Amino acid sequence: MQAIQSQLFGLREYLSPVLKESKFKEHGRITPEEFVAAGDFLVYKFPVWSWEKGDDSKARDFLPKEKQYLVTRGVPCLRRAQSLAYTDADEDAERLLSFGDGANAGEGEEWVETHAGRKAAMNPASDSAGLAEIPDDDGDDVARGVGNLSLGGGQGESNDTPDLDDIPDMEEEDLEEGDEATAKPKPAASATTAGAGSNQPDPSKSNLLQVRTYDVMITYDKYYQTPRVWLIGYDENGKPLTPPQIFQDISADHAQKTVTIEPFIHSASLQAASVHPCKHSSVMKKVIERMNNSVVAEQLAQQTKASPPSSSAAGKESSSSKRKWFGRKSSGTTKEAAAAEDEEGPEGMRVDFYLVVFLKFIASIVPTIEVDSTTSF
Amino acid sequence: MPILQFAPFSSIVSPAFWHKLTDLKIDVLKLSDESLPITGTYTAGKSITDRETGKEVVLSTNFSVGGESFDVAHVQRSGELASSLASTSNTITATGSFKNFNTIEEFKSVDKTKFFNDEAQKIWDSIITTKSTTELTRFFLITFADLKKYKYYYWFAFPAFVSKPAWEIGDEGWKDAVDVLSRDDLSSINTQIRSQDTLPAFFLVKRSGLSVSVAKVEEYESFFQGVPAEQRIVSFIDPSADPSNPGWPLRNLLAYLHALYPKETTSVLVLRWRDNEITTATPNTHWKSQVGTVFLSGDAATTTDKPSAVGWERNPQGKLGARLADLAPMMDPTRLAAQAV
Repeated sequence: MQAIQSQLFGLREYLSPVLKESKFKEHGRITPEEFVAAGDFLVYKFPVWSWEKGDDSKARDFLPKEKQYLVTRGVPCLRRAQSLAYTDADEDAERLLSFGDGANAGEGEEWVETHAGRKAAMNPASDSAGLAEIPDDDGDDVARGVGNLSLGGGQGESNDTPDLDDIPDMEEEDLEEGDEATAKPKPAASATTAGAGSNQPDPSKSNLLQVRTYDVMITYDKYYQTPRVWLIGYDENGKPLTPPQIFQDISADHAQKTVTIEPFIHSASLQAASVHPCKHSSVMKKVIERMNNSVVAEQLAQQTKASPPSSSAAGKESSSSKRKWFGRKSSGTTKEAAAAEDEEGPEGMRVDFYLVVFLKFIASIVPTIEVDSTTSF
Repeated sequence: MPILQFAPFSSIVSPAFWHKLTDLKIDVLKLSDESLPITGTYTAGKSITDRETGKEVVLSTNFSVGGESFDVAHVQRSGELASSLASTSNTITATGSFKNFNTIEEFKSVDKTKFFNDEAQKIWDSIITTKSTTELTRFFLITFADLKKYKYYYWFAFPAFVSKPAWEIGDEGWKDAVDVLSRDDLSSINTQIRSQDTLPAFFLVKRSGLSVSVAKVEEYESFFQGVPAEQRIVSFIDPSADPSNPGWPLRNLLAYLHALYPKETTSVLVLRWRDNEITTATPNTHWKSQVGTVFLSGDAATTTDKPSAVGWERNPQGKLGARLADLAPMMDPTRLAAQAV
């Protein structure tokens, strides 16, 4: 069924024309050229991202051959999305975040951050409670997966011991002698607590935190004319995650509704979890509208100050980088911004920022996967 | 002084790798089990601030192979330059060899010690004969693919030479690089290594006057001519974010230096570089790189015979054994159909 659906969507995407006109402010949609521009900016500012060419046979001709999609690997995911479930108790913990830069900030530009000041609510009980929500309608496998996981949750044992019968008996402890200069193999869950006497950290009181990692890909969806996100997950031992495990990291509102497992469009056979892009453009439109207003206001304010023009590309680049309104920790860098601001009229938000904003939006769907590297810098 | 311990690599195999292997096995390799060249990548060690506790969480020292890992075979065959494999600005590409066995019995019974020693010998030869650092992080991977069940058995090894006596770290341990070098120096190093075509896995740093300069490790003698031993900085992209254990590549780098320059390297000032993701340094940049001095005490043998090597990856249970990737949930059509909404 889904195969047919995917085929259908593939056909639909194939038939739909390439968006030519820039419409990102009106509709939240972008053209392939804008996708490339925004991607270049993302790669430039945050080198954890890089362009990939993907499978040649799957290359899209409306994108440059070497810039088919964006990828970042090894994105950490410290805990499961269920541990962020929103309860009444959290309502008090909401906090307004200002994304404005300096003077214009504060006027209706706040975002609500939920869970502010929240303590790590990570305990085996809540974990397994969350796990129980996974539909176990596909029989043994999922049931076993769930069983394994809650076992892991309780004991800190490796829950990944695959069926022991499956692993051939081939431990060869005599293969090499003990080596004093090899750092002790740490169970991955406690890799975070490694290093005696150092300042690191058990990220939560309960000793069992799975540090999963994700490969995150951003492709361009020609039909919806928006970027689309794909996820491939690994558990703390580097084993690929199963679909039910991936759904644990997606907020309950989206798991199995807008997020599904589908063939990755730049590979002949790879399957990945994907956030369906049907609502992306309307969400992006809203976000961009708000940000644009503040950026325009700021740019107008800059113009009246009549600081010396610096219209070179480099000048723009640096002014872009100085604008920290997209960062969480936006602080008063007005002076810097003013100094470097370019003077080409209030062009508003530049499309380069599209993907940076997009990542903020994706971060709300996968709250525990740290895709939004733009804040951790 | 405490013995210097190195953080071993932990392998991450992208599902794309197994997909590619499946295709190769069916269409190209068939029953052949010859060794193939492959590549893998690592990046500077990552740590992340936990948003809930505000603490810094150190991630494991990952070494990844993916679908593109097999491309090196095509590149070599068609005689193109290895530069077409040019990695992106923040990854280091290491070469290795790959061998897929046709049966699980062969996979189990192969003489792994011989295999390991052969690979370690290649690294050693590259040190002694060509004095090149390109092979220092050489790895190998043996696999058995159970294509019908979508199960893949695999075992990585990252051979590293054992130093006798072992390297020791000074009592002061690893210090933040900003305590030793100035911010301008770090920024300058960052700019210099990032401006190269590919990010260098290993490099040398020296101060000359007010600036710092960077060079390839192969240029050790000429670059450090006239530089006092305590000011010679040897650096590498450190895949380990663990503040006390530098990453695995340093091990063979130290072996390399000690084999070629035994007199000058009983004490080495090491810079663990982890900041290559910084694009524009500001005065507030948080530099994560660390500096420490490592020593060899006692009389180190100065022989050109290959020292013993270690480096089989341990499985999740901490034993020396193969790992299993079960891709049925993501590859088996019937399972996928059940998953579909």
